[in-house]
Amino acid sequence: MNHGPLIFLGVFFALALSWFGLVFESQLQLGNAQPTTNLVNAAQLYPQMRPGQARQGLDVYRSLGCAACHSQQIGQTGRTYDVALTDAGTNRSAVVDTLLKVKPEATAIEAQRLLEKPSATILKDVTRAAADAAVAKFEPTGAKVEVRVIPTGPDIARGWGKRRSVAEDFLFDQPVMLGSQRIGPDLADVGSRPALTAEWHLLHLYNPQIVVSKSVMPPYRFLFEKRKIGREPSPDALKLAGKFAPEQGCEIVPTDEARQLVAYLLSLRADTAIFETPMTVARANVSTNAPAATNAPAAQTTNSVAK
Amino acid sequence: MKLDPNKSPAPQEPEPTTGSAPAPVWLFVLVALLAFWGMGFLDSHGGGFDARVYAPYNSAKEVEDEWPKSGAGAAFARGELVYREVARCILCHQPTGLGSPGQQYPPLAKSEWVLAREPGRVIRIVLNGLQGPITVTGQQFNSNGMVPWRDTLTDQQIADVLTYIRSEWGNNAPEVKPEQVKAIRDKTAGRPGQWLADELLKVLETE
Ligand code: HEC
Ligand code: HEC
Repeated sequence: MNHGPLIFLGVFFALALSWFGLVFESQLQLGNAQPTTNLVNAAQLYPQMRPGQARQGLDVYRSLGCAACHSQQIGQTGRTYDVALTDAGTNRSAVVDTLLKVKPEATAIEAQRLLEKPSATILKDVTRAAADAAVAKFEPTGAKVEVRVIPTGPDIARGWGKRRSVAEDFLFDQPVMLGSQRIGPDLADVGSRPALTAEWHLLHLYNPQIVVSKSVMPPYRFLFEKRKIGREPSPDALKLAGKFAPEQGCEIVPTDEARQLVAYLLSLRADTAIFETPMTVARANVSTNAPAATNAPAAQTTNSVAK
Repeated sequence: MKLDPNKSPAPQEPEPTTGSAPAPVWLFVLVALLAFWGMGFLDSHGGGFDARVYAPYNSAKEVEDEWPKSGAGAAFARGELVYREVARCILCHQPTGLGSPGQQYPPLAKSEWVLAREPGRVIRIVLNGLQGPITVTGQQFNSNGMVPWRDTLTDQQIADVLTYIRSEWGNNAPEVKPEQVKAIRDKTAGRPGQWLADELLKVLETE
């Protein structure tokens, strides 16, 4: 070992360099991240801290190793643009003429019909330049036309999410359950799948094959308690039928852990439009009579991208 | 096997030592080229190390360009931000725009003050604030309530928030331009205190 110090320095710098690149630089970039403005519902900051039960569910999720089969990171490879007519205005004949110009394949009757529809999509899947050009053509007619930004990518095509995951999404999670394998679907946005209700999740955890007949996900029966039905069946008991039902006189009730896990799964959402993820979210019809549901993340209003 | 004690030991080879040889030049060239390519890659795909830039975007500018910039839709979105976050009109006039009649906060939805075709009066209300009795959508309100925004909001912000309240909640009145706000700001520059509704009614809407 004639070159001990040299080897030491070489190893030291190699490690120091990767530390700077992987740890220090990321800390500089993201270490001070704060909740940002939710661009759709600006009264709220994004992200919100998970409610207590869901936060406990994160620990259950972690301890059961769900992350071994499920990732929580949606990828996005590109974006595409639609052009929508939100308000035809008063000069209808001019709007129809312009419509026929930007959409030469449409017939006059089709164009008329598009005008009747509230916020009809007039161009689909076009480039930004084409979308902007179409919007410019409508400008003199007084019609309101907007460009919609739609994230694209294989994960989004599978329906796993509406946009990519970004660092903001994980701000309050400790640890972050990114996962690295996808034996099952990505769960980053599982809370916004309308079919997957709390009831669905409980059945699925008890035995995935109840709801997905060929599922290879393992059952988590130990998250449930089998007990004798008392004077009355428990309102929380799972509604099981056929071969999945327990023997007569018994019922299956979820434990606290199962409830926490389900609360966590339902809190997993990555569909809020923030600065990092330009996208157009459908504007819910805000009725002037109903008080706006301010703490439901689903109650989203606008962020039309218009020119 | 027996060892012969008299045999002289085989001549020993000297211990090897490390020497040095010059590294080949092509290796340096290769490393330099790789480093150059790497930096080029970082430069074009790193988004300027901005934490807000993710693939498929390459720069913060590109991300920003995807968000509303100009035009009525954009003014509406910016105005919503002023309404909710910046000036927090929302605290009094509510997310529904219906106000809070119990606390004497009048509605903006369907309000004839907001919906007036020419925004002369409503710009004055936001610039200098409003107090005293006022009738909105047929209801009586009376408070010393609405503060002036002259010094806290820019012309652009006032135009945006007015555009917002004039087209949200089913309202449908034309956009307000920053130049219109500026004109009235200059015209009413010396005016002390809040407006009274009666006073405003004497001002022409177009002025
Ligand atoms: C052996 C790998 C594996 C493990 C471990 C696993 N899953 Fe799954 N999971 C799957 C597969 C495969 C599917 C798809 C079939 C199905 O829906 O059952 C799935 C589906 C799901 C779904 C439905 C997603 C959708 O979009 O339909 C949820 C929710 C889910 N898993 C939650 C969990 C939770 C919570 C855990 C930890 C308690 C877990 N999984 C552990 C493999 C796994
Ligand atoms: C502190 C509560 C408060 C805030 C914040 C507030 N307002 Fe008001 N606003 C009032 C009150 C109170 C009145 C009625 C004053 C009166 O009785 O004369 C009023 C009246 C109005 C009116 C005229 C009456 C009507 O309903 O059409 C408009 C327009 C208006 N506000 C717009 C705004 C805008 C825009 C903002 C944000 C920049 C805002 N207000 C912020 C309390 C508030």
